[in-house]
Amino acid sequence: MTKSRKRPVAAEPLQPKKSKSIDLPFLLMVAILCMMGIVMVFSASYASAYYKYGNSYYFVQDQLIWLILGVIVMFVMAFMSTPKFLKVIAIPSLVVAVGLLALVPFIGVVRNDAKRWLKFGPISIQPSEIAKIAIILSFAYLITRSGEKIKTFRYGILPYVGILGVVGFLLIKQPHYSATILIFAVGGAMLIVGGINLKWVAGLAAVVIPAAAIIFMKSSYALSRIQRWLDPWSDPLGKGYQTIQSLYAVGSGGLFGLGLGKSRQKQLYLPEPQNDFIFAIVCEELGLIGALIILLLFVALVWRGFLIAFRAPDRFSALVVMGIMVKLGLQVVLNVAVVTNLMPNTGISLPFFSAGGSALLVQMFEMGIVLGVSRYSRSGG
Amino acid sequence: MSGSANKNLKATVNKRTRKRMLVIFVIFILLGVVPVFINLFYVQIVKHDFYLGKATTQQMRNATITPARGTIYDRNMKKLAVSATVETVYINPSSVESDEQAELIADGLSDILGVDRETVLEKTKKKNYYEIIKRKVEKEEADRVREFKVEHKLKAIELVEDTKRYYPYGNFASSVIGFVGTDNYGLQGVEAYYDEELQGLPGKITSAKNASGTAMPLEYEQYIDPENGKNLVLTIDEVVQHYVEKHLENAVIEHNVQQRGAAIVMNVKTGEILALANKPDYDLNDPFALTDEFELSIESLEGDEYNAAVSEYLNQIWRNKVVSDTYEPGSVFKTVTAAIGLEEKKVSLDSTFYCPGYYMVGKTRVGCWKHAGHGSETFLKGLENSCNPVFMQVGLSIGTDLFYKYFDAFGLREKTGIDLPGEAEGIPHTYENLSNPISLATSSFGQTFKVTPIQMLTAVAAVTNGGYLVQPHVAKEFVDDNGVVIQSVDTTPKRQVISAETSATVANMMEQVVSSGTGGNAYLQGYRIGGKTATSEKTDQRDENGQVTKYSVSFVGIAPADDPMYAILVMLDEPNTSVTSGGQLVAPVVRNIFNDILPYLGVVPQYTPEELANLEISVPNVIGSDVKTAKTELSNAGFTYRIEGEGQTVVDQVPKTGERLSKGSSIILYTAESATSSLIVPDVIGCTPAEAKERLEAAGFNIKEIGTLGETDCFAVKQSLAHGTAAAAGTVVEVTFLKDTHGAE
Repeated sequence: MTKSRKRPVAAEPLQPKKSKSIDLPFLLMVAILCMMGIVMVFSASYASAYYKYGNSYYFVQDQLIWLILGVIVMFVMAFMSTPKFLKVIAIPSLVVAVGLLALVPFIGVVRNDAKRWLKFGPISIQPSEIAKIAIILSFAYLITRSGEKIKTFRYGILPYVGILGVVGFLLIKQPHYSATILIFAVGGAMLIVGGINLKWVAGLAAVVIPAAAIIFMKSSYALSRIQRWLDPWSDPLGKGYQTIQSLYAVGSGGLFGLGLGKSRQKQLYLPEPQNDFIFAIVCEELGLIGALIILLLFVALVWRGFLIAFRAPDRFSALVVMGIMVKLGLQVVLNVAVVTNLMPNTGISLPFFSAGGSALLVQMFEMGIVLGVSRYSRSGG
Repeated sequence: MSGSANKNLKATVNKRTRKRMLVIFVIFILLGVVPVFINLFYVQIVKHDFYLGKATTQQMRNATITPARGTIYDRNMKKLAVSATVETVYINPSSVESDEQAELIADGLSDILGVDRETVLEKTKKKNYYEIIKRKVEKEEADRVREFKVEHKLKAIELVEDTKRYYPYGNFASSVIGFVGTDNYGLQGVEAYYDEELQGLPGKITSAKNASGTAMPLEYEQYIDPENGKNLVLTIDEVVQHYVEKHLENAVIEHNVQQRGAAIVMNVKTGEILALANKPDYDLNDPFALTDEFELSIESLEGDEYNAAVSEYLNQIWRNKVVSDTYEPGSVFKTVTAAIGLEEKKVSLDSTFYCPGYYMVGKTRVGCWKHAGHGSETFLKGLENSCNPVFMQVGLSIGTDLFYKYFDAFGLREKTGIDLPGEAEGIPHTYENLSNPISLATSSFGQTFKVTPIQMLTAVAAVTNGGYLVQPHVAKEFVDDNGVVIQSVDTTPKRQVISAETSATVANMMEQVVSSGTGGNAYLQGYRIGGKTATSEKTDQRDENGQVTKYSVSFVGIAPADDPMYAILVMLDEPNTSVTSGGQLVAPVVRNIFNDILPYLGVVPQYTPEELANLEISVPNVIGSDVKTAKTELSNAGFTYRIEGEGQTVVDQVPKTGERLSKGSSIILYTAESATSSLIVPDVIGCTPAEAKERLEAAGFNIKEIGTLGETDCFAVKQSLAHGTAAAAGTVVEVTFLKDTHGAE
């Protein structure tokens, strides 16, 4: 049974209508961001790639391969996925994600003091990336299914707290605070939009935020990061080093920047400039103007995503799209906040920019979902 | 899945969902994007300079390029101090690739540079980018280091240019020139005083570096040229300085001077210092060297005591007495008192005084150096005799107010401002002190207050140059590398202190001091030398019985006395001899200096008729001439002759051509090779000039008198060929006469 068949039914005038094409403005913005991203990965990484590997293209060639894969995944999802397909995979994806997360403590790989990766032969994946999209899909599914019962504690709060609790526990064990924050925030946003009673939101915030704070404070790992945040100069060559070098990069950019490719901080000062701190190099090379353009592009992308959600064929699709867009917007904001030391360093990457295969792949997968939903937009919705 | 659930799953997007989505978006913008952007603005724009500065500091590698230090020339552009390029060898330990490489570097550098191998090895292990191995490496060694570096591809070894100072003449003019330390900063002399001008401005190479300290490929480099130091042309004349040093050194050795001697030659019209010396002095190329004698004397000392002794020794030999030491000027100051008295008409040349050997100042008896007294004498004779009672009376008649005023006006209460480091202030009397008649009376003959030698000479210059107080200085001008003058030193006098008439009168009196007074030993044939002797008691350093036992002796000479151009001050601090008179110890030194420098400086001799009669003339060359021609030539020139041998041609003559002898001296002409006759030199020490001449001529020699006025009241103290030595007939024996100028004036 296809949705188009239901269209003629007069009783449901808001039935989804299959549009012929995907949302082009959204695709265009994704394309621009991807291109900017790959250029910046090259610019940020060529110096350190040259010093470390004798090959300036070391990082960018990898990233390019992942990007091509990502584009393929995006288009596959854009043209193949249907709201129905997403509903089908919603709960299984959560099961798979939790399963993989549960494996991490046992067979995970430690990188940078944290155990976040699973390695299968040559491919390493971050289960947290899968968990994020799984939470979005499963929450959208569960919320939609609950209908008006979402306003109750039993249907509106309990299952979600349960899911977030399990996933959050597994993530904090890694530890991976940025993913935890992201999942909680995205989940929370979806529940609000999904129609839970707002008094629960207040209540939840009253419980979750202090709890998170306590867990955070008890962890020496987190504590040292906070210390680094409050006063990076207390240990300029040790724990504060990356933050200081990032601030130097951002600050030296000024209004117009040093020019594309002209960053000095990438010359081995800022560690791994192509990763989480790539935006610092963006700021240094392109200045506040360049940074603002990129930020506005992201805002426009998020807004376009929200429009797609408004016009979505059903509530489920709307929630999925919105969840993806909230996740993306939040990631951008948190990343820039870390780079400018507004927030402690949590290891959060910048979508489309930070080098890293699996994250990019998941990102493009999500964009594919949004584009797929856009094909079913209601006209004038 | 229940039916309602299925139905719910197909529900469309309702209004509440959209409303809440909009709220989420607004929250995202307001709580997310806006704060992040504000913070970005803060870091990138508000704190831009701060972070850019910090970033630049860590990203830039600065290398300083030392500018070439200016050359120091004498007034005739002879190089007195030059800089040569040398190099500093250093290593960058972070670029040392392996332990084997470290060993290789240590072996190579210790071999080439002669540095300790272990020290180098230690430095290769340091955790930084810059460890100096050796400074001031000469080009040849530096080239070998470069070869070694290239041969073994050692990135860690680096060289930078530096400069080293050379003083081509060693000790020469050390008090004026001074020297520089290892960091190229001037430490003494004009090297210190004009350090800034000589230094120039360092250049800079700024290059971008990465976090490992190596240069960034393809990144920018900025090169700021160093601005070389200015070249300094001194007023010092190398020739004059040379003679001054020679004669001062001889005097210091001869009279066993305990506290070193000093000498200055000044152009009294401009204040230019033509020569300035202290003896003993030190080698500018090795200013920290200790004499063997001194090293032996401190052998038993250790640690701090040793270091203190060394540093005291070095400070003493580096010390420029001319500007840094004060002394009681003694009788030389009488020229100043005379000038004041004449200017203020308190006395005239023929005012008469009576000296019973002392003068009663109130109830205090202040003695004359001549205890027997000078009896009745004019003011002029008073100066010639250096009579203290005369000057006490003149001083008292000048009075405290005027004396104080002129003391100031002659610049004796302030530093002269000479362009040399470490100038001391004198220790003048306060007005209250000077109100005491004893102080005023003793001040009138130069005791009980102290000045520096340069202050004293500058005051004498003002007394004799027409009355102008000049600015003594050693820098003539600064020139660039093409010799173009950048900056000249102003020689405008500071002020006029006394009238030209008074000045001329005092200069004339000073000439009388030399021609017929206590300064007779400064007499120089053909030149109008003026002067004043001084034997200064160190009244502030008495022995346990309250007796003054230490003296400094000095002499100020001016020439030519009718229009003074040059003044010389020579001071010997604590000579250890039986005689302690400036007239005897120092006047001959000044005379010898004038003798050597006045012809060089182009001062034309002016002979008195008496001098003309005794004038020394140059012996012509007659070797090779036939005897007859030789006879005529010698007669025409004013010489007598004696012929040895039977030949027709002169094969040799004694004295040789060019020697200067007085008229009537006899030239021995040899006409046969073997005929040279050898004679024995007689003893003439203690003889008067006439006796000495007679004895030497009788023995077949010629005499050359030094230091006589053609008068009889002097006696020979030195003869150039010792009594009993054999010499060819006709040989010139130089005899030095000294006028007995008695004890202390």
